[in-house]
Amino acid sequence: MIEVKNINQSYTKHGKKKILENINLTVKEKAITALIGSNGAGKSTLLGVMSNLIAPLSGEVLIDGTDIRSIKPCELAKKIAVLKQTQHINIRITVEDLVEFGRFPHSKGRLNDFDRKKVKESLAYMSLTGLENRYLDELSGGQRQRAFIAMILAQDTPYIFLDEPLNNLDIKYSVEMMKVIRSLVTELGKTVIVVLHDINFASAYADYIVAMKKGRIIGEGHPDQVITKEVLDKVFDHDFNIVSYQGRNTCLYFDCVS
Amino acid sequence: MINWKRIVIIALFLAFVTASLMIGALSEVTLKALLNGDVTAWKVVWHSRVPRTAAIILSAAGLSVAGLIMQAISRNKFMSPSTSGTTDAAAFGILLAFIFLNEQSGFIQTLFAFIFAFLSTVLFTSVINRLKLREVAYVPLIGMMYGGLISALTTAVAYKFDVMEMMSAIGLGSFARIGDFSTIYIVIPPLIMAVLYSTKFSIIGMGEDFSKNLGLNYNRVVFLGLVIIALISASSFVAVGPLPFIGLIIPNMATTFYGDNLKKSIVDLMLFGSVFVLFCDIASRLVIYPYEISVSLTISVVGGVIFMIYLIRGLRRA
Repeated sequence: MIEVKNINQSYTKHGKKKILENINLTVKEKAITALIGSNGAGKSTLLGVMSNLIAPLSGEVLIDGTDIRSIKPCELAKKIAVLKQTQHINIRITVEDLVEFGRFPHSKGRLNDFDRKKVKESLAYMSLTGLENRYLDELSGGQRQRAFIAMILAQDTPYIFLDEPLNNLDIKYSVEMMKVIRSLVTELGKTVIVVLHDINFASAYADYIVAMKKGRIIGEGHPDQVITKEVLDKVFDHDFNIVSYQGRNTCLYFDCVS
Repeated sequence: MINWKRIVIIALFLAFVTASLMIGALSEVTLKALLNGDVTAWKVVWHSRVPRTAAIILSAAGLSVAGLIMQAISRNKFMSPSTSGTTDAAAFGILLAFIFLNEQSGFIQTLFAFIFAFLSTVLFTSVINRLKLREVAYVPLIGMMYGGLISALTTAVAYKFDVMEMMSAIGLGSFARIGDFSTIYIVIPPLIMAVLYSTKFSIIGMGEDFSKNLGLNYNRVVFLGLVIIALISASSFVAVGPLPFIGLIIPNMATTFYGDNLKKSIVDLMLFGSVFVLFCDIASRLVIYPYEISVSLTISVVGGVIFMIYLIRGLRRA
């Protein structure tokens, strides 16, 4: 279980210009939690703090009751896998090389048969079989993103943190990616925390939504409780229309020309 | 699956090593004489040709690896010891050792060269990382200006202390200083470290967050990488002088064929670098046979052209 307690974070050392202000959160196990909010709301920073990439100014993140900062990095890497926005990569490595990196916390670079089996399984799960020896720069955006998720899978952690995994993906691959993330929970029993830009994807696929604004949590709960006009108008400073589609709330946030 | 790329590079390597051992001013040294057990021929090979060839292989392999580690640390394909002031700082270190200790032992020189190369590399990489340049292709240009600055300082100091001849002697790369190659063997331990840490350096090349996610101590691996770069640059500079562009063009060429996963490709990279420098060395020995020209000259000509191609491609991609 992951609990976030009184996290504060700011741009300066003295605590002025806050990025995160008194964040408290208990992550729902074996479910997708989506972090939503406008740019600069602190979603990515919170994800970074929760996965120990960024040290908070104050407060703590507990995993099964232990502060993550007191856990050895190589042990924490077996519990939490985090994928930041994948920027432009100018390194020539193959899909298989990348996924094998995911075994690093377990193997320290010397792969045994079990590691190889895990790599194979992860590749197959992300339907990358046959592309193992292709270089990452030869893949499409969707395939490359799947390769990174395969690496995260090979890391074999109960918790998976994803920072805007749909970035730079077109509609078809975005939907595909959300389905895969969904299946990580339903089929593999993972706990996923994901920063999403598109609130409709959050509404359709998440089990729990955390809405943030200016470093604070404005609303949290089941999509039906958060994807409402009251909450979203406040979070995004915008006029929303909520409609129901296939049993979930969907947002319309613009008017058509008449 | 047969790894043809590896077989080709090994075959080329063996061919060039043989050629390198056979070419020289003494025409009595032939394969036939060696096979017949000719004592003079063996002596020439053992005392003159083997150290030279070993120096070429070690300095070339070392600088190729140093270049690739530097590129992984800075996540920039245009970084290398000779285009970021590292070698110039090593020369400055050697000059100071010469002025203040009047000490000419290769190991003391290497120590001074190492300290300055290390400090300069730390300074340059941290400044470059902070600059957040839009175009990475500008990095070697800034690096060469920075190197030129150190070089000018070195010359000024040498002029002031009246040791200009010494500076011109170390300014040219050459494999012809027979018997003075002992410091090149300092390259071996950092090379072994590089092989042992190859996976970690590849992971570092994927970025800081990526490394931290895998539980890697990012700062420690970067520090080790900088030590390896400085050790290799310093000892190869003291032993054979500057070999321009090797650290930049060899990793770029080799990774096109062998990829960036160091664990798989580090040996191929070393062989590739060795073949390139062996080729340049043989060319330097043949153009005005039985005399020879400085190998830096040949490398500058061949490597400079390749460097320009990469630079223009890098700028055009922008």
